[in-house]
Amino acid sequence: MGLIIDNTIINNRLFVGTGKLPDYSVIPKMHEELKIEVFAVAVRRINPEINKGYSILDFLPKTAKIMINTSGARNHKEAVKIAEIGRELTGSDWVKIEISGELKYLLPDNEETIKAAEILVKDGFKVFPYISPDLIVAKKLEEIGVSAVMPLGSPIGSNKGIDCETLLKAIINEISIPVIIDAGIGRPSHASKAMELGADAVLINTAIATSNDPFKMAEAFNLAVKAGRIAYEIGLPEEKDYADASSPLIDFIKGIR
Amino acid sequence: MLVNDKEVNFKGNLKELLLSLNYPTEKIVVLVNGEIVKKENWDNVELRDEDYIEIVSLVGGG
Repeated sequence: MGLIIDNTIINNRLFVGTGKLPDYSVIPKMHEELKIEVFAVAVRRINPEINKGYSILDFLPKTAKIMINTSGARNHKEAVKIAEIGRELTGSDWVKIEISGELKYLLPDNEETIKAAEILVKDGFKVFPYISPDLIVAKKLEEIGVSAVMPLGSPIGSNKGIDCETLLKAIINEISIPVIIDAGIGRPSHASKAMELGADAVLINTAIATSNDPFKMAEAFNLAVKAGRIAYEIGLPEEKDYADASSPLIDFIKGIR
Repeated sequence: MLVNDKEVNFKGNLKELLLSLNYPTEKIVVLVNGEIVKKENWDNVELRDEDYIEIVSLVGGG
């Protein structure tokens, strides 16, 4: 079953960030062939000599959902402004609030993120805040009216995967808006794990964009996300401390001499 | 004035500035002193030496 956000059914639970991609032409290919529906983008100053009219805007499919990332914002005012710029450029009102509190781990400033969310929700944006996996922050954001929360699995680009499973599970269990695990997912198995935990979607950027073949890696993540989700929906078996034989433990052959 | 943090000597309006610096006029947003100036108003904004201008667009990002 698809994920419903902002009255839109999102069938593909793999969201893709487009930073560091060597070639934007892979974006429409991912959309058409892998049915990836949500792509994240960012806002930056441009230089006419370097950019020479080459714009990611020419590669974003009209039928895709574009999520404006406010990365680069250091406080809520900058995040709000970036969201407005992104909406002006794309017409999309989906905004991922990313406000970095420091640069070494790029951890989000949850306090500034809450302030930005309050303003952006009032301004009619569909708000997706990137947060540290803190249930209390997630609950406050849910109350404000954000469309989903995006807790990190581990620091951006670290490829460490799901580093704080218990805290993520607490958010998944306790809030009713979608939970999109974002950041740090480095391998398809990490993405499966996130989905098995009950995440509603994952957002992957670095692991796909910096791989030797971004399209093929997106395909691998696509399969992993689907596998994890199917298993979650069916229900995963409980873990046990001792063996539980798969083959029957009766009627063994005993006559061999 | 500063344009994307580069010192520029210019007299005229915002649209003329963009053209003189070879910026594209499509797929960009322009901020003057931190405020978005809509494209239809570019002609009307006469620039001053102390203005801080930023020309931005969409890029790949996560």
